[in-house]
Amino acid sequence: MSSDCSSGPYTSEGAKRESVLLEILNFSSQREVPPEATLPQRLIHKDVKAFEQLYDLHSRIVYSLVRRIIQQSSTAEEVVQDVFLHLWRNAAQYNPEKGPFVPWLLTLARNRALDHLRLKSERQRRREDLTEVMPPLAIAPGYEEVLDQKRRAERVQALMSSLHPRQKQAIELAYFEGLSHSEIAETLKEPLGTVKSWIRNGLQRLKERLQATS
Amino acid sequence: MNNCEKFQELIEAYALGALDAEEHAVLDAHVSSGCSDCAKAIEEARWVVSHLAYLAPEQAPSLTLKNRLMQTVRAEATASRRPVLVFPGRTLWTWMGVAALIILTLYSGWNTRRLQEQASQARDSAAEAERDQRKLQEQLAVTEREVSILADPASVRISLLPQNAQAPQLEAMWHPELGIVVTGQQIPVPAGSRVWQLWLIPKTPGAKPVPSLTVRPGPGGKFVLPVFTPPKLIAETKALAITEEPAGGSPQPTTTPRWVGGIS
Repeated sequence: MSSDCSSGPYTSEGAKRESVLLEILNFSSQREVPPEATLPQRLIHKDVKAFEQLYDLHSRIVYSLVRRIIQQSSTAEEVVQDVFLHLWRNAAQYNPEKGPFVPWLLTLARNRALDHLRLKSERQRRREDLTEVMPPLAIAPGYEEVLDQKRRAERVQALMSSLHPRQKQAIELAYFEGLSHSEIAETLKEPLGTVKSWIRNGLQRLKERLQATS
Repeated sequence: MNNCEKFQELIEAYALGALDAEEHAVLDAHVSSGCSDCAKAIEEARWVVSHLAYLAPEQAPSLTLKNRLMQTVRAEATASRRPVLVFPGRTLWTWMGVAALIILTLYSGWNTRRLQEQASQARDSAAEAERDQRKLQEQLAVTEREVSILADPASVRISLLPQNAQAPQLEAMWHPELGIVVTGQQIPVPAGSRVWQLWLIPKTPGAKPVPSLTVRPGPGGKFVLPVFTPPKLIAETKALAITEEPAGGSPQPTTTPRWVGGIS
């Protein structure tokens, strides 16, 4: 039965019926255990359920990152909306052969947030709003998801805290504020060469430890 | 590979976006020329860099954002399933040819398509039913907890008196373990997208009000604000207050309290 159903476009009417029935059966089993890895591909076919699952899985880390960069909750939500709509409308841009989905999504979110920061000249305003307290959570998060993100966060924070504080600061200025080597050197009042080697060595150490713990 | 060595020291900063414009352009050109080793190294470095996102303090977006996104996504998915036939500037013969082709295709594939539509409808209905069920379960859990807080003798009743004598009163019940529920009737709806926000006033002298959740009254001014994980303990709090704030709430009050209730 299954071999008939996959025999190509010139199937008989009966085989087509079977393939439709199989499609229903396959859908049922997918619905029970959604394979996370295939979610981005399902977006290409405008699968709303896949989009919702992806949003539920990754919206917290994407929002946390964008909120950290922009430092303003309502603007951060606009950028997060922009990121997820871009994902929905351009899902084919993600190529699984080039790497996992989450780093790709986080890179997209970070770039959008930094672009927004530059375009809107919010950097000055952000400095003025540094005393802003983080707002309360609007929704209760899923326990497992939070636990997973907490574990990842703890692992990366532990790795980063093992770096020299100035080295960590240099990396954070580049990542969260989008500063270049020269701008970081100026901000930290350190020689350009020192900043370059801090960033390179810091990320290499992070890579080694991530690979060792992966 | 020798040519690559001079670029190796730029890879991490390139992935981080920290290279100055000139160095960035040089490495860009090198990778564009087809160096697969450097391209692979950049992908690896991007993977490392993406982990830095976990240094950001963890926060959740509002439920409104998800609702807004899902509304847009569902509308676009529905629109993309609708067939749109546009043939600008075609001649009559082209039209007739296209029409004949469509009729032929429709006829030969009618039965198959009918089944596919049924499958698609079944999928949509199943997904819809599952979503509804999940929503109902969540609502039921919230309601059960609200009832527990309101009915449990361990809950402390707090009357929140309006600063404007004509406004109706709000009432809060605070259970030391289950949380707070604030309720009221015929409460005015704030203008535009603004919301009512609950604040916990700490006993510590000079301490700032602690922000809690926000709400917009429902039909008939029905006001129900459950806070299952209050940011302060009841023993540390001397009063509750409610102010009008922009959508999403504020980290510090931006207007004077409209209701205040002391905890005895």
